[in-house]
Amino acid sequence: MADGVILKVEDLRTHFFTRSGVVKAVDGISFELRQGETLGIVGESGSGKSMTAWSILGLVPKPAGRIVGGNIIFQGENLLEKSPGEMREIRGSGICMVMQDPLTSLNPVFTVGNQIIESLAMDSRETRRSLRKKAVELLANVRIPAPETRLTSYPHQMSGGMRQRVVGAIAMSRSPSLLIADEPTTSLDATIQLQYLKLLKDIQAQTGAAIIFITHDFGIVARMCDRVAVMYAGKMVEQAGVERLFDHPAHPYTEALLKSVPDLDVDVDQLPSIEGQPPSMDDLPPGCAFAPRCPYAFEKCGEFPPEFVIDVGHTSLCWRHDGAA
Amino acid sequence: MVQPDGAGGSVPLINAVELKQHYPVTRGVVLRKTIGVVKAVDGISFSIPEGQTYSLVGESGCGKTTTSRMILMAEPPTDGEVHFQGKPMNQFTAEDKREFRASVQAVFQDPWSSLNPRMRVDSIVSEPLVTHQRVTKQEVKAQVSELLEVVGLHAFHAERYPHEFSGGQRQRIAIARALSTRPKLIVLDEPVSALDVSIRAQILNLLKQLQESYHLSYLLIAHNLATVRYMSHRVGVMYLGKIVEEAAPTELFSNPLHPYTKALISASLPAHPRQQREEIVLIGEVPSPFNPPSGCSFHPRCPFVMDHCSTDDPIYRDSTPGHKVSCHLYAERPA
Repeated sequence: MADGVILKVEDLRTHFFTRSGVVKAVDGISFELRQGETLGIVGESGSGKSMTAWSILGLVPKPAGRIVGGNIIFQGENLLEKSPGEMREIRGSGICMVMQDPLTSLNPVFTVGNQIIESLAMDSRETRRSLRKKAVELLANVRIPAPETRLTSYPHQMSGGMRQRVVGAIAMSRSPSLLIADEPTTSLDATIQLQYLKLLKDIQAQTGAAIIFITHDFGIVARMCDRVAVMYAGKMVEQAGVERLFDHPAHPYTEALLKSVPDLDVDVDQLPSIEGQPPSMDDLPPGCAFAPRCPYAFEKCGEFPPEFVIDVGHTSLCWRHDGAA
Repeated sequence: MVQPDGAGGSVPLINAVELKQHYPVTRGVVLRKTIGVVKAVDGISFSIPEGQTYSLVGESGCGKTTTSRMILMAEPPTDGEVHFQGKPMNQFTAEDKREFRASVQAVFQDPWSSLNPRMRVDSIVSEPLVTHQRVTKQEVKAQVSELLEVVGLHAFHAERYPHEFSGGQRQRIAIARALSTRPKLIVLDEPVSALDVSIRAQILNLLKQLQESYHLSYLLIAHNLATVRYMSHRVGVMYLGKIVEEAAPTELFSNPLHPYTKALISASLPAHPRQQREEIVLIGEVPSPFNPPSGCSFHPRCPFVMDHCSTDDPIYRDSTPGHKVSCHLYAERPA
């Protein structure tokens, strides 16, 4: 674990083999994550951001999906060489995940307390009573009012914000060193979203866990992340520190996307929009997938661009940087 | 009677006066008795001038969608009334109703569920037209082609089915359908929140451009404040069935008065990592409208709560001309 890198993904390729051809959901992405760092993976639906998370967790849907190349090094060990049993162990203790919809990730027929204690009991021999006490502490930690009485509640008796916090409590119960949050706040209202994001930051400050935030919302990235990776059609087209990305977006897709988001503090008459539609993954254009929508596209874009390093920690997959940097 | 705002004294297209929608909560099957009411919408007034956008913002359960259903005449209000072009809806004749239904259309959030997957695009787009007007097949065909071009699609798309389109294109089909009867008002219920980020600006720009070309009025329901600022002429902030503040967007977002509006703005995500907002983190969650708090319904979560907030109802009044607020903090000022 040199210089605190806990996760290193190298040239990861997750492909789906379907009747109509190979869908390259994740196609050669590389990134690193340090302890206590928050990485935002931004992209539209189908860009491969969730599949990146599933690949790290070893949960790629089989048999259609397969990791066909690359390495995922977590705390010095290659996860792709682990057996399903060992992966199960890692998913419980090393890496945890918070999903988009808390209603589907909690079991509706068990009480919340039951589900937290189940996760606590997995690797401890403590008595039921002491586990119960721990569960109350965890709920108090995610700021659920009256945690004692809430232990006996069922998920449907709680509001969306509270359910999401219970999921957070379960995820943190085994103090993982990596937390993957897949659009955890899309189903929450704005004021509840703010509460939840602050809570995640607090938990991170306490435990020093690294977080991967998967989102389509640049606002969340601006609020939460240290570094950003922008995905388009299975590739990470740009990676940079968060301020650097907002100040000097290098890839035309990032640039256009940032401009097309309305700003609450400014009046504008006309938003610049990105023309065209996101590509369908089973029929990608040759070369750069963004070229058909790109205002700067030129002949070279028919070939796939390599990764250009623009600055320290800032990379972009675009031919415009050829010779420039 | 509420005077129309910013319409220069002319009759607004929609004028909602003290609208209420109370749902009874019952218990028992045979011996059914009412044990309470849910006040989904509790006495709201607003007006939409011709060619303008009125937006309602607020969190889930605040009554935005119920309000839009009353404006669409999908359910009658339990109290209060809606005037359409100066005429109250509850005095509509059958002819008025027909005309109203043609002049008011809606576009919904999710274009995956709002378009019938078994219908071809031409039938989807022309359905309101065929329902409301006597038209020949040739006319329908010509109209459909024209409408599709207007929303940025092509005439040949008419022969396809919804599943052949992406989300943004489907929303364009839904807009073409809404335009088919040449409406005066379109209710937009979260029109872009189900779409991909790169598509949202396209659809918002299309809606703005259509508003200009056809002099349309919009009732926009949205939770994203930045979208609302971009689209609206006036904005009403709803909390637990009431409008707590109303102003033009520039005024509202630069000078919010109600603590709830301030909290909403503070909770909206920054456009830049260095951007700092005043931090107002609300405690708790929106109370149930079945048993709303006494006095000002926001008082249990309000960071500026005073003694009489829990007992006295605040009065909804002009704080400055054109900026209405319902909060005890501003009560001393002359209205």
